[in-house]
Amino acid sequence: MYRYDEFDHQLVAERVEQFRGQVARRVAGEITEDAFKPLRLMNGVYLQLHAYMLRVAIPYGTLSSKQMRMLAHLARKYDRGYGHFTTRQNIQYNWPALDRIPDLLQELASVEMHAIQTSGNCIRNVTSDQYAGAIADEVEDPRIISEIIRQWSTFHPEFSYLPRKFKIAVTGHKNDRAAIKLHDIGIVIVKNAAGEIGYEVHVGGGQGRTPFIAKKMSDFVPAAQLLAYLEAVMRVYNMLGRRDNSYKARIKILVHETGEEEMRRLVDAEFAKIEASQMLTVPQEEIDRIAAYFAPPVLQELPATSASLDSARASDSAFDHWVTTNVVSHVKSGYGIVNISLKPIGGIPGDASDAQMDVIADLAEAYAQDEVRVTHEQNLVLPHVKLDDLKTVYDTLLAHGLATPNLGMISDTIACPGLDYCNLANARSIPLAQEISNRFADLDRQYDIGELKIKISGCINACGHHHVGHIGILGVDKKGTEFYQISLGGSADENASLGDITGRAFTEDDIVDAIENLVASYVDLRHNGERFIDTYRRVGMQPFKERLYAE
Amino acid sequence: MQSNRQLIKDGAMAENLWSYVEDDAALSDAASIISLQRLEDDADTLRSRNAPLGVILRAGEKQGEDVRRLAPFLDMIQLVAIEFPVYRNGRGFSSARILREELKFDGEVRAMGEVLFDQWQPMARCGINAFEVDASISLDQFNQALGEFSQAYQPASDGRRGILWQRHGK
Amino acid sequence: MAQHSAKGARFQAVTANRLTDGEVVYFTDAGHWSLSFSEAAIADGAEAAEAVLARAMPADFEAHVLDPYLFEVLQDAQTGFQPASVRETIRAKGPTIRLDLGKQAIAS
Repeated sequence: MYRYDEFDHQLVAERVEQFRGQVARRVAGEITEDAFKPLRLMNGVYLQLHAYMLRVAIPYGTLSSKQMRMLAHLARKYDRGYGHFTTRQNIQYNWPALDRIPDLLQELASVEMHAIQTSGNCIRNVTSDQYAGAIADEVEDPRIISEIIRQWSTFHPEFSYLPRKFKIAVTGHKNDRAAIKLHDIGIVIVKNAAGEIGYEVHVGGGQGRTPFIAKKMSDFVPAAQLLAYLEAVMRVYNMLGRRDNSYKARIKILVHETGEEEMRRLVDAEFAKIEASQMLTVPQEEIDRIAAYFAPPVLQELPATSASLDSARASDSAFDHWVTTNVVSHVKSGYGIVNISLKPIGGIPGDASDAQMDVIADLAEAYAQDEVRVTHEQNLVLPHVKLDDLKTVYDTLLAHGLATPNLGMISDTIACPGLDYCNLANARSIPLAQEISNRFADLDRQYDIGELKIKISGCINACGHHHVGHIGILGVDKKGTEFYQISLGGSADENASLGDITGRAFTEDDIVDAIENLVASYVDLRHNGERFIDTYRRVGMQPFKERLYAE
Repeated sequence: MQSNRQLIKDGAMAENLWSYVEDDAALSDAASIISLQRLEDDADTLRSRNAPLGVILRAGEKQGEDVRRLAPFLDMIQLVAIEFPVYRNGRGFSSARILREELKFDGEVRAMGEVLFDQWQPMARCGINAFEVDASISLDQFNQALGEFSQAYQPASDGRRGILWQRHGK
Repeated sequence: MAQHSAKGARFQAVTANRLTDGEVVYFTDAGHWSLSFSEAAIADGAEAAEAVLARAMPADFEAHVLDPYLFEVLQDAQTGFQPASVRETIRAKGPTIRLDLGKQAIAS
């Protein structure tokens, strides 16, 4: 993974000092909250219901064991002993004190991490495929260009006061695990007929109040021209994006209101000018230098099957289930990609204690080439684990509540922090995730149901990505009471779709029964091999809706 | 310029010689800043006016004024004032860069409006060389703010080679 | 900012977050900020509410707290005054899914 050079270290150190000064001035009353707020947001510091919240960037979701141990240490020292992994591959701390955050950031900087641009109207964390560098059929490791984009976008003087936040995602695989079509800019790495690497660029995706699937702006931007192209998109957005209404300020609205054709014309015109200047053509030596950090790890030559694994699976059915659901095939023979579920039955989605983080760090160092990944679904990944080591890894995970064999199952629910933590929320989301998890706790039943992605958001800002849930749930406030609106048929992958609302919302008391009802409909209606989403796409809303609202 | 403000230009305190003139007011021989609309409407007359001329570029809310409209007139303008009506409205950053890098304007580019002290540095990087700052700000404070980051990853209007290039001597 | 008081609320109190650590605080009759809802000054009627809010926001309030605002409280024969909304109930106590965190976890 990427290692900072002195330039990177210096910038982060200067940012920490700058923020330290800003905090000191604010606490001394020398600057108003109005003047301070944009600064603290650009350093990832929110004010939430109970306390400040700090969002630490985990670039393209990749961490070393040393970094994970630091996250655990920070949770202990500055917070309440836990952190929350988010749907954008970051981590959030819910209780840091403002006047201690500069020290926290300084400690973070010592392990090459930061909280830069994790909030505010600027370019946010570049997210990517959690299986990057480990999965077969990858066109190119997407983290290489993600790191280049990260650097280009950091402290970009022209794009720090955009109309709204800006999110970029990259996938290097035809199976899109990075939800690129739901991002402001989504990039697919492709090869042209001559075998050259280039980028298919999509613009204007997003969720929130008005969800949109991104439009393809370019089939193929040659590798050397990508930054010039991105700068062109950003410039068009910065100049033409609306600033009169914050609900209409995202680029998805600009694309929608301008029209795809005209948007492409505008971007192409800017691109031609920027490309002509040659200012943003990254030297090949720099691309090579960064690419070298993402070279495949040196792995052993191992047979495709592991006798010890097979025998352990035969004698331990819980372990066997876990391997079936949570371990994904690795590109290298004899290895597997381990998914660590942070969705224990009845637990809080995406949360990990400091002790759990330390355990995961140890496992990463010993068994996963010293890497951990954060997914978009509030789970973690140990890439590059030998099949021979799976049982040992599993046993350790099991001992620490990290071996729930539910990846992609109904209890693998995404929930935003919701009204338990968040200033913006209308309803609580975590208790709902817990109730659903408890109701469907039976593993046999979960396996029978199969892949079913439930995503819960506590408000229209959609941080729980409910628009792209197979079942999406949106918390709403009706006259002071929490209600839950259901949508069906959303999907974040390469066949991206936005869910359809079923109809009237449900109370806290009725919502879990409603989910049961939907699951029962699916089980009745499904054809052989169909997942919930497949059945929904075949039969449509009507059969589900009829049963859902039947008196 | 408001009385509690001072002008810092090219890193030094400067006297403000410019005043904004409303569209319906006659122009004197003083250094005058006019609207873009007036400039376009009266360009021919203004060309023969032998006095310093500036234009203000409005940021707008739903839509802003397009900096490229200035292209035919840059030879007769000595100052472009770029409006930042609220600090959040960052259209001016792009306008400044286009003005410098594409349109090659080398007169004074001044930030006007609500400017937070942490915006001076990115503004300077985008080619803004004149700032109306609160009178309580010392020159030292201003220059210190400009120097808070010694390097930059990406190129802009200030001629700095971005880190991605500097690493390889390019 | 999410809802504060419903129209026609009779009883209201003032809350904010402490600048240094973001803790939820309530404005008291004595004129300081308390960590406990039980010490909040309760205003009866719109005029009284505006007066309390004004007292809570002297010229230098930003040196101590962030964004004070009024919120509705309801009177209950048994329990006295309680926040009217789910949101303010949660702010007064802590996250409902972690009873070991927030004000609810502090031994009284």
